[in-house]
Amino acid sequence: MGVIPKPPQGQFNVLYFASANSFTSKDYDTLPAPLPIGKLFDELEKKHSGIKDKILSSCLVTVNLNYVDVPNGDSEDASSESSVVIHAGDEVAIIPPVSSG
Amino acid sequence: MEPSLAENSEEGCYVALTHEHLRAQDIMDRVRSPQAGAIVMFAGTTRDNFAGKPVKELQYSAYIPLALKTMLSICTDIRARHGLMSIAIIHRLGIVPIGEESILVAVSAPHRQAAWRAGEEALEDCKKHVEVWKREEFQGEEGIWRANRDGLPGQKIAEKDEEG
Repeated sequence: MGVIPKPPQGQFNVLYFASANSFTSKDYDTLPAPLPIGKLFDELEKKHSGIKDKILSSCLVTVNLNYVDVPNGDSEDASSESSVVIHAGDEVAIIPPVSSG
Repeated sequence: MEPSLAENSEEGCYVALTHEHLRAQDIMDRVRSPQAGAIVMFAGTTRDNFAGKPVKELQYSAYIPLALKTMLSICTDIRARHGLMSIAIIHRLGIVPIGEESILVAVSAPHRQAAWRAGEEALEDCKKHVEVWKREEFQGEEGIWRANRDGLPGQKIAEKDEEG
């Protein structure tokens, strides 16, 4: 992956690695902030049809290098107060199952 | 372009990701210590098949800042728990030809028992958690992103797969 440019004001980057990179044919997308973490997968599905089932269902998510819980977008708590909100300038990443070594 | 070497360190711990060849002597020298009675080093090399299917080449990619953070956290944890003098882990990125080293783990300890155990544990922790991905290219068909093992802590399994 090359150098990712800083997102424009009011937006954030989502980085794609491994299978997520292959599926989207992109290193990253830029989305408007703020966004409750529970809405993230739905926003990505709008850009890349099928990504939720084929890729995201087996992935973890980090925000600024910390793992976060992603509540189910269909449930009531998707935008509840307890869950993380992605802010402008945050670096979000989709983390497929790892395979180092 | 990615830098050819990314590294991080703190007391008694060194981690790195590189596009260059891995050199066992270099990483052994990093953990060498007059207080150590043992250095244990592990070299992971790229295999020419997956379950009997011939692999043409392997390619590794990483989320570099997060992978370094995870590697360093594994090192500090294992160094403390096994009373190591020092621990170093380096992983190669990009295309790694078959039969070459893709990861080196070196640990030094006052006595060999702790060094053996710590070395194995460090490698297993890396394989479970470090944000590096291996793509296997096969002869005449599309390559696949390998997953070390589904279902380990920290790796969510799709519900539909749980029964299988």
